[in-house]
Amino acid sequence: METQLRTEEAKRAQRSASLRTALILASIAVVFFGGIIATQFTGGNAVGIGVLGFAIIGLLLVTVGRKLRGDNAKMSSKTSGK
Amino acid sequence: MSSIPHDHAAGHGEAHEEHAHHPGGIMRWITTTNHKDIGTLYLWFSFIMFIAGGTLALTIRSELFHPGMQLVDPEFFNSLTTLHGLIMIFGAIMPAAVGFANWQVPLMIGAPDMAFARLNNWSFWLLPFAASLLISSFFVPGGAAAGGWTLYAPLSVQAGMGMDMTIFAIHIMGASSIMGSINIITTILNLRAPGMTLMKMPLFVWTWLITAYLLIAVMPVLAGTVTMLLTDRHFGTSFFNAAGGGDPVMFQHIFWFFGHPEVYIMILPAFGIVSTILPTFSRKPLFGYASMVYATASIAILSFLVWAHHMFTVGMPAAGQLFFMYMTMLIAVPTGVKVFNWLATMWKGSMTFETPMLFAIGFIFLFTMGGFTGLVLAITPVDIQLQDTYYVVAHFHYVLVAGSLFAFFGGIYYWLPKWSGKMYDETLGKWHFWLSMIFFNVTFFPMHFLGLAGMPRRVADYPAQFTDWNEVATIGAFGFGLSQILFLFIVLKALRFGAPAPARPWEGAETLEWTLPSPPPYHTFETPPVVT
Repeated sequence: METQLRTEEAKRAQRSASLRTALILASIAVVFFGGIIATQFTGGNAVGIGVLGFAIIGLLLVTVGRKLRGDNAKMSSKTSGK
Repeated sequence: MSSIPHDHAAGHGEAHEEHAHHPGGIMRWITTTNHKDIGTLYLWFSFIMFIAGGTLALTIRSELFHPGMQLVDPEFFNSLTTLHGLIMIFGAIMPAAVGFANWQVPLMIGAPDMAFARLNNWSFWLLPFAASLLISSFFVPGGAAAGGWTLYAPLSVQAGMGMDMTIFAIHIMGASSIMGSINIITTILNLRAPGMTLMKMPLFVWTWLITAYLLIAVMPVLAGTVTMLLTDRHFGTSFFNAAGGGDPVMFQHIFWFFGHPEVYIMILPAFGIVSTILPTFSRKPLFGYASMVYATASIAILSFLVWAHHMFTVGMPAAGQLFFMYMTMLIAVPTGVKVFNWLATMWKGSMTFETPMLFAIGFIFLFTMGGFTGLVLAITPVDIQLQDTYYVVAHFHYVLVAGSLFAFFGGIYYWLPKWSGKMYDETLGKWHFWLSMIFFNVTFFPMHFLGLAGMPRRVADYPAQFTDWNEVATIGAFGFGLSQILFLFIVLKALRFGAPAPARPWEGAETLEWTLPSPPPYHTFETPPVVT
């Protein structure tokens, strides 16, 4: 019973991880789609470069933040394990 | 991967029996969420589209057999070249690559299925509608799009209803590709078997991971571009309409920002297949695995920085010409690394020459030729001379037919025993290879001469001086087309009468799928294998 619960939990965790990955990827696609039209619509390359820059920096911030949070969680679980 | 301590056959046994109930007949294929079924659907769809695009190509070659107008009028000829390109790229090559990914990625990484199985079904079933839209545009007033597969403005702004259908078809196929890519990336990142680190993944999986990222980056750009084209046509905007202050050249820049990575989207999965076949039949591990991964990633990154080499004749500052020329040449470095590694894999290997290996070696030989002519075209002053000639047509067919298509044929022969549980006829397979190899060269090699002599592409008529090589090319094209009927016969014969295939028909094959029985159970790796 306990094993089954753990398996269910693992499956749920995997499912939500997959959803997170998919949402990030889909948002990249949306930014590129909207960005190229917005650039042309405003007639300035600055918008396109700005959108792309914000997207890249935003992605980096999210990635680094998640990595740090993951490391913190690992550290604290190790500490509590001791 | 050194060992897989998991009894796969036993692992499936009862669990498989439990889950094997799925609808039969046509409903199985419409409602399926199984990656193997969807992979099969993709591969059959792409073959049907290959035949459709091939028929258009043979009509083009028939018209060009002799100078003068024979079979079709020039407007229809332009539609033929446009639709041939669109169907082959979006209908044949890309779906075939996705078909391989659907079948192989979960099996190679030990995943039970794709991460989003229903999305996977949807990704596929969008394609037949898009293809119908594209092909039926031949029958609407004004005919199909005729401005070339690049859909350059202002021609595409002015064209008839067929262009709208093409734009919608591209939207739908783009959506399908993006959903498919999201699925593939998520599957690879989140569903790998325990112990399968990124640097233990088979190279085919790596090439698809990188290809999927490329698709996510560039398909929305194409979708945005054709959306702007649509609003120019119907909603009074002037993105690309010079009369309203728009910029038609900007269309070309944005299109090729998509278009050049698209070339690598079509070729990287082929690299992955060849990198899987060569070690198997050389009975050696792939030489320089890590360098192959880095080379693939480098090619993908560089592919974003070379788009304007398609536009040297449009006009740009000398600094721009130099930048795009050198960046294009730079791509030859990681590509050279790959070719070197493939050769080094075969070097002193215990090689045998079954059909998949023949196609893989044929791929290396012909793709390298296509790569060299690409280098020639990268040189700005030379490109200005050869732009829009048959030299360019020869170049990209050496890359995409002898490149992608040959690798896909090799992949089909390699994995067909696994997928179907039946062996194909080896003798006929070799016949298919040699006929394809010979007729491919008979068709496309003379096009180099035609291009160097100045014959422009996308023309329905030409001066008599070009007749001889055009006749040779047309004969070759019909031979190549008929060779593919032989391929269909070989596959159908294998499926119907083929000898049972063992779990591992190729002794040098070492990836995870070969640990499964042939054909694999409907559900595989429900208990993930542990990779050490």
